[in-house]
Amino acid sequence: MALIRCCFEPPELPEFFDGFVQKCTDPSCCCGCCSALRPRYKRLVDNIFPVNAEDGLVKSNMEKLTFYSLSSPDKLDRIGEYLYQKATKDINRKRYKLAEIAMEAMDLLLQACHAQTTLNLFVESFLRMVQKLLEDSNPNLKIMATNSFVKFANINEDTPSYHRRYDFFISKFSSMCHSDNHDLRDSLRLAGIKGLQGVIRKTVSDDLVENIWDAQHMEKIVPSLLFNMQFCVNVMFVKKNLMATGDLTPVEDATHITPPVLAEEVLRELVGRASFGHIRSVLKPLLMHLDRHELWVPNTFAIHTFRIVMISIQPQYSYTVVETLMQHLDNNFKSSPKTRTSLAVVLSKIIAIAAGESVGPSALDIINNLLTHLRTSVSTTTEITAEESQYQEALINALGEFANHHPDYQKIEIMLFIMNTVPDLSKKSKSDQMLQNILLKSLLKVGTQYSTVSFEKAFPASFLQPLLRMARAPHDPTRMIVMQIFQALLDRHQNEQVLSTVSVKPYTALSQEPPSRSDIIFTHKYGANIMQALIDSMALSDRVDALSSSYNTAALLIVEMSCSETVQEFLLFILGIQQVAHTVESLGAVHKCNLHSIAIALLVLISRVTGINNLLEYAQKIVDARREEAPYYLAPLLEPKKTSAKNLNLSLPHLAIDKLALGECLQNAGMDAQRLNSGAPYALHQTDNPAHRHSWVESVSAHMTQRNSSADLTVYTGDVDSVNSSPGVCKRVLSQEYTFDAMKRALAEPTEAAKREQREKQLQIVRTFRESEFDELVRRTEPKHDLIQNRLNELFNSLAMERQITQSGDNKTLQLQATNDKPIYETNFPELFYY
Amino acid sequence: MEDYKFLFKIVLVGNAGVGKTCLVRRFTQGLFPPGQGATIGVDFMIKTVEVEGEKIKLQIWDTAGQERFRSITQSYYRSAHALILVYDISCQPTFDCLPDWLREIQEYANIKVLKILVGNKTDRHDREIPTEVGHYFAKQHEMYFLETSAKEAENVERLFYEIAAELIDQARSKDGSSAATTAAQRQTDSGSIGLGFSSLSAKAAQSNCCSGLGLGNNDNASGTVGSNNTSQGG
Repeated sequence: MALIRCCFEPPELPEFFDGFVQKCTDPSCCCGCCSALRPRYKRLVDNIFPVNAEDGLVKSNMEKLTFYSLSSPDKLDRIGEYLYQKATKDINRKRYKLAEIAMEAMDLLLQACHAQTTLNLFVESFLRMVQKLLEDSNPNLKIMATNSFVKFANINEDTPSYHRRYDFFISKFSSMCHSDNHDLRDSLRLAGIKGLQGVIRKTVSDDLVENIWDAQHMEKIVPSLLFNMQFCVNVMFVKKNLMATGDLTPVEDATHITPPVLAEEVLRELVGRASFGHIRSVLKPLLMHLDRHELWVPNTFAIHTFRIVMISIQPQYSYTVVETLMQHLDNNFKSSPKTRTSLAVVLSKIIAIAAGESVGPSALDIINNLLTHLRTSVSTTTEITAEESQYQEALINALGEFANHHPDYQKIEIMLFIMNTVPDLSKKSKSDQMLQNILLKSLLKVGTQYSTVSFEKAFPASFLQPLLRMARAPHDPTRMIVMQIFQALLDRHQNEQVLSTVSVKPYTALSQEPPSRSDIIFTHKYGANIMQALIDSMALSDRVDALSSSYNTAALLIVEMSCSETVQEFLLFILGIQQVAHTVESLGAVHKCNLHSIAIALLVLISRVTGINNLLEYAQKIVDARREEAPYYLAPLLEPKKTSAKNLNLSLPHLAIDKLALGECLQNAGMDAQRLNSGAPYALHQTDNPAHRHSWVESVSAHMTQRNSSADLTVYTGDVDSVNSSPGVCKRVLSQEYTFDAMKRALAEPTEAAKREQREKQLQIVRTFRESEFDELVRRTEPKHDLIQNRLNELFNSLAMERQITQSGDNKTLQLQATNDKPIYETNFPELFYY
Repeated sequence: MEDYKFLFKIVLVGNAGVGKTCLVRRFTQGLFPPGQGATIGVDFMIKTVEVEGEKIKLQIWDTAGQERFRSITQSYYRSAHALILVYDISCQPTFDCLPDWLREIQEYANIKVLKILVGNKTDRHDREIPTEVGHYFAKQHEMYFLETSAKEAENVERLFYEIAAELIDQARSKDGSSAATTAAQRQTDSGSIGLGFSSLSAKAAQSNCCSGLGLGNNDNASGTVGSNNTSQGG
């Protein structure tokens, strides 16, 4: 070895050296002794170097070397070692060209021999060579080394390499990503990014080598990529601005890859390969980078980055990103509202992408998290600054976005969930009120995303109840939000805008559709509750906006739910409004007038919607009369502050809507008016107890006996109702399908005659129960219980007899009582009342 | 055949504009770049030195001082063998930030890392921090202390050579004990670092031989070192 070195590396004699190299290029000669002594592989390696470094690799000799290494692969590692040593010396002497040639040769060898089993050892030298080139300050060497490394990274190795370490490469490539060289800045940065990509490719799939997901690596890789991408967004902005001003024409150059483009690609690749456990290790440095570079405000880049992450991440993990971002929001609770707003906006932009994948608990978890943020935001701020409310707005938007991408049944779940978090009305403190409003606002946001099909699904009892309670809230804005929620959920035909003003004129843009069967059932079950709440809310405040909001809800209710079967209920409701205006003394004169105008407007609306002409004529008559005598009884609503109450004559009973007249109208139209005639109009503060209201047993004792039982009886008849039994209303036409199944069903179904028979029977039963006296019903159903009754009596008698024996006192009276004076608990319920 | 016996990673930290890049440039390239711009991210330099007859390769990572690059620079602390904490003797704020830097080092760096406090720019006449203050601070926080001037090439060589010498001592003592790194081991290690300081300063005061040798080698860098070795072999 020493001898060879001595010959080959004459230290300080450049002239001699040159001559020597020249000689050495000829394999046959060389300076006597050494040629013969040198191993063959060394000679082959030496020969690939040209005399003049500028000439480049000696191709023919390179082929010889390749052939040699293929035929005797055991020498491959030694060739690698030797090449590395040569290159090291060349670099130390700053003969970069020769070093480049050595690198090139190694590349070629690697490509040619990558199937060899001994490649592993060669790779060691190869990587050391790459490292050597990277360590030098010459930028060209660095770029070349990176290219070699990338080539290597694309080779699939068969044998695992346990001890290979990449931390230097990661450090160095990351450093190159930040390169600030004047001439070669972009190419160096590109090289850095490519190198990182290579490392990622090489390590990510192999568990045996270094764990690329370690924090120490990710903290270098991610910021380096972001740093390059960041530049891109800035450039994009400049370009956009320039294009806007016309200074720059867009030049699309697809072949030219810039560092930002490549960095983005690598980030996508990295995120795409991340498994569940690794996502956080990518996101943590990402968030830190955004923090450090203050990229939240403005948040264009943050949004851009997170979009990339969300799109390229494996979809099942996407909600982790949302979670992490939310945690980051947690950690940032002390930073400026602006930052938080930006964060929330970013959240709202990406949350939609995650929504599709997260179901069940994780969805509610996210919602809960958002609500918690809202709550802390409300509770920590003493006064609402514009920025803070912007932040809240952004959070609510995020919530809405999130809900928007869920299926409808989950929206309901989400709404229920939000509803449950709204604080009780009993809490009167200002912050609680604020929180109520904010939460209801978010509820509204979700509600607007929900497209109602059937009311039964949109208003489950557990949701409707608290909502109705809120509708009676003393705080005006709260109530108005609740009304908006109702409007959002009720409005199936986009009539909300149309009906926003109170008017007796026909609404031309109104679109409607007769309610479906299930809607009618819903109306019977809960319609009364809703209307009750509406009346209460109307009586609570004389503010015009609050009133018209309540009107809007009522009008939508009418448009969506009214039909010949429910019209009586609505008429009672309208009468109720009027009655409140008449009877409740505490209301102001203007408020009363407004209630009257609302009542008449609703009457006109319902008569138009249901198409009952008699009713419409009657309503028009009143309208005309009012126009003559008391225009303040008509829309538009009066401003309580601007109108003086003195000019308002409120004792005008002939201008009021008359209940009897309404009944007549209905009867004339051939409709049942019994409910209207017998039922009392709605009044204020009636307890509604929905669980009881539609329960048929309990309602016997309830205050609204008739309303409810009749309602339920109608439902009962409804079961066999068909088109012809509800005159004046065209039913929703179901599209008939003539399929095999449909035919089979038709055949299997009872005939029309049988149906009619059954219907009549049912009607008869209903009529009996509806019309006959209670006692009679008792009597009718009694006989079946005679047996048990007699038995009981017998028992009682025997008991009494026994007692008679023991006490001989007033036994007669006791016996009498036992037999004749039946105590109340012995009264038999009719059979139907047994559940 | 490796061309070095030890490889040490040295990371320079400190506020922006205290002269970290200039220190590194002066040491690795022997020049003082006048209009040096702010470093972006992390810069990398390599230099092979010879201490006590051993060839040592120093990987020097020169980090950006700017706050915004902290996310990436922190990740380089972890693998460092030595951290050079630089401040500007003519700029009080850069000195005031030192506790923050120490906290950051504590958080991200290896606990056994060798820490050196460097007051740079001694060529300036508007000194704001007296040598004693820097010395006292370093003593308090168990750091080695040195004042340098990258412009005048004062103490720059010495700084890196002494770091190299100290790191060799550490590495050798570790080899000697050759036990698994338990808590006890760590304690002894930190103890040896403490000892090292005294020995270092003693050496520094005693002789300049080491830095003298470095200066001699400085111009043609590791090239001469490499050839020296091979010729010895012959």
